[in-house]
Amino acid sequence: MKASEIKNLMISSLNDDADAIEVPGRLEKEGISYNFSHNFSDKVLNKLFSAGLILKREVEFVKYMNFAFYRIALTGVAAIAVLLISIFIIEGSLSLNSFLGLSDNYDESIVCLLTGN
Amino acid sequence: MINKSYNVTEEKELVKASLSGDKKAFGEIVNRYQKMVARTVKGMLGDSVFAEDIGQEVFINLYYSLSGFRGESKLSTYIQKIAVNLTLNEIKRRKRFFSMFSHKANNEMYEFEIADHDTEERKEASEIVTKALLAMDSKFRIILTMRMLQGYSTKETAEILEVPIGTVLSRLSRAQEQLRNILIKM
Repeated sequence: MKASEIKNLMISSLNDDADAIEVPGRLEKEGISYNFSHNFSDKVLNKLFSAGLILKREVEFVKYMNFAFYRIALTGVAAIAVLLISIFIIEGSLSLNSFLGLSDNYDESIVCLLTGN
Repeated sequence: MINKSYNVTEEKELVKASLSGDKKAFGEIVNRYQKMVARTVKGMLGDSVFAEDIGQEVFINLYYSLSGFRGESKLSTYIQKIAVNLTLNEIKRRKRFFSMFSHKANNEMYEFEIADHDTEERKEASEIVTKALLAMDSKFRIILTMRMLQGYSTKETAEILEVPIGTVLSRLSRAQEQLRNILIKM
């Protein structure tokens, strides 16, 4: 088939009333065909059934990560609670100043501290 | 459709056997539909090893989603939908990658080989088809692939692409216009 005929065939395959069934057959006769490699199905099956193991490992890893996350999060919450209680006991309140350790300082003394006068 | 249509009951049995872990049955499904998938994937992405990887992914996805196949449509339609979705996702991924890291034009995103043919005429024909396909916008390329390489009717194309028939019809005429412009320059 000449180049011009191929081009016409391609364009006509997009006519809405075209009998599209015939086009792939005609193209295949001209050697225009698409195939995967000869051992394609073996590759798929190998990938699939060896991937099963990897998938299981991934699921287990996610489970461990979830477990680790809960442990770390709980430890963090416990540490914050201890810190709040200790600040309350030492400073007597949970104000911003007591968090920053500024509850015993007057504004003037901070200015002196910063300016050196 | 160009591919041989298989007995529906036999298809259902193959699906059932695959679901129960029969590797041979699933291998049979792969053998039956690999050519159909190759036409979609290689038509859309060009003939390259990457296209083969996407083809493998299609069947891997199929295996894991077989339990969701209710048999309301043909297995070939179900597989074709997976192939179209994965291929369009790959095109989107490439577009994102190339827009960030490269200044290549759209049709340069694809690596492809033109297979050896017995005559120069055939080689030229193959080159025209591949280059024209890859030069088209992906939404028109998928329409051309479905019609020209798969031989689907407008109704079947609409079912696979999950769009109304009217949309397919309007894309057909716009795709034809774009294809004409591309082919004139060749």
